[in-house]
Amino acid sequence: MPALVEAGPFSARNGEGRQLFDGVRVELGEGQLAVLDGPSGSGKSTLLRQLVGLETADGVERRLAGETFEPSSLPGWRARVTLVAQDAPMLAGTVGDNLRFAFAQRAAAGRTVDESRLAELMSATGLAGIPESRDAATLSGGERHRLALVRGLLWDPAVLVADEPMSGLDTAAAEACFALLLDFAHRPDHGALCVLHDATQKRAADVRLHLGGTAGGGSP
Amino acid sequence: MSDLIQLGPLQLAVATLLVIAAGVVSLALRLGVERRLAVAAVRTVVQLGLIGVILERVFALREPLLVLGILLLMTMFAAREAAQRSSRGYRGIVVDAWLAMAASCFVVGGVVTQAVVGVEPWYDPQYVIPLLGMILGNSLTGIALGLDRFLEHLAVRHHEVELRIAFGASRREALAAPLRDAVRTGMVPIINAMSAAGIVSLPGMMTGQILAGAPPLQAVAYQIVVMFMIAAAVAGGAMLVVLLAGRRFMGADATLRLDRLRSS
Repeated sequence: MPALVEAGPFSARNGEGRQLFDGVRVELGEGQLAVLDGPSGSGKSTLLRQLVGLETADGVERRLAGETFEPSSLPGWRARVTLVAQDAPMLAGTVGDNLRFAFAQRAAAGRTVDESRLAELMSATGLAGIPESRDAATLSGGERHRLALVRGLLWDPAVLVADEPMSGLDTAAAEACFALLLDFAHRPDHGALCVLHDATQKRAADVRLHLGGTAGGGSP
Repeated sequence: MSDLIQLGPLQLAVATLLVIAAGVVSLALRLGVERRLAVAAVRTVVQLGLIGVILERVFALREPLLVLGILLLMTMFAAREAAQRSSRGYRGIVVDAWLAMAASCFVVGGVVTQAVVGVEPWYDPQYVIPLLGMILGNSLTGIALGLDRFLEHLAVRHHEVELRIAFGASRREALAAPLRDAVRTGMVPIINAMSAAGIVSLPGMMTGQILAGAPPLQAVAYQIVVMFMIAAAVAGGAMLVVLLAGRRFMGADATLRLDRLRSS
């Protein structure tokens, strides 16, 4: 399969200066769901943030479907390799604001919200009963995580990068969300990279990437 | 003005009795502030005496370069003060505060002294220094509040800023919400002052002009000009300082550099 995303080399140290990872390259094939795992504190979130360009990483090359993105075109890269961040952050405002704000940004390039897709995603994740006028601050943790995933899928980037998108969800909701992620990733010109902990979901992924354990540093 | 009652050493000596009375209250109630009160009273006399002497000299010399130098010095002190009032900081905060302060105050001050009041000659210190001093003193509050709020927004609500960035926001789009938040906050005091003017309090400058013998309507006219110029200086200054600060935390690639934020 042709590579959809090639990016690297990434390296990072933690707050105490210990090397978390060094020279890591991320490659993702078209139509694949890749799972990233590793012990806690191994820098999974940092790697994802560097990959999408939220955290600075010097000397990194980023390529999407053969197109190279310079550091100056990071906004365009982020719009196509989009992070669903850990803890599902929400803008102050309504559920509707949170679902739609990205389409008002320049990076949307005139794309509009696919209303039928939105309705389909909301009902698949069990959020159909939540009106868009509701204040996002009143959502429960589980609702917030599902809404963040819906927001990412609705945006329809080339690659969805998700950091523990199903944390705090019960089994049924997590399965529904995972099915959506798989469907998303398995389409042509698309892909997904997720940090997941559930063993069944990991087995269902197309690729498994592992971080940590062997990173240089001072482990005895 | 002819009906101005002159104050001499005798009058000031009598007024000293008042501050001594305040000291007696402190002693009687054992507030323990009499020493600080005495020091503050001495500082008031010395500092105001000095500025009085300096202003007399400047007014007498009527030297444009000297006036400009004093104005520049005033903006620098104001900028340092504005930066210090912010509970968070970053490298270059004083420079940014100074640039914003100087730009907005010189533009607004220029419009007021040259176009509205029509000062002759253009640098007449009797008008230019007090007017600019008032713009500075008030826009300092606005700029400090705006800056503080902007940095707080970045520190506390960075998840929201990064959420926009994650979906491809440009720098301008990513910083729009913190900018609006900051400028709105910076403008609150002057809006409150304009709303309460004349009802809750008589503004200090107007009171001073009336004491100096100006007809009340003239004093009111000056006060209105001052209020409006402060509003313009605060809006411009707060917006500028936040734009400058924003560039320190975000390059053209719109990556949020929170590591550059310091809490002080």
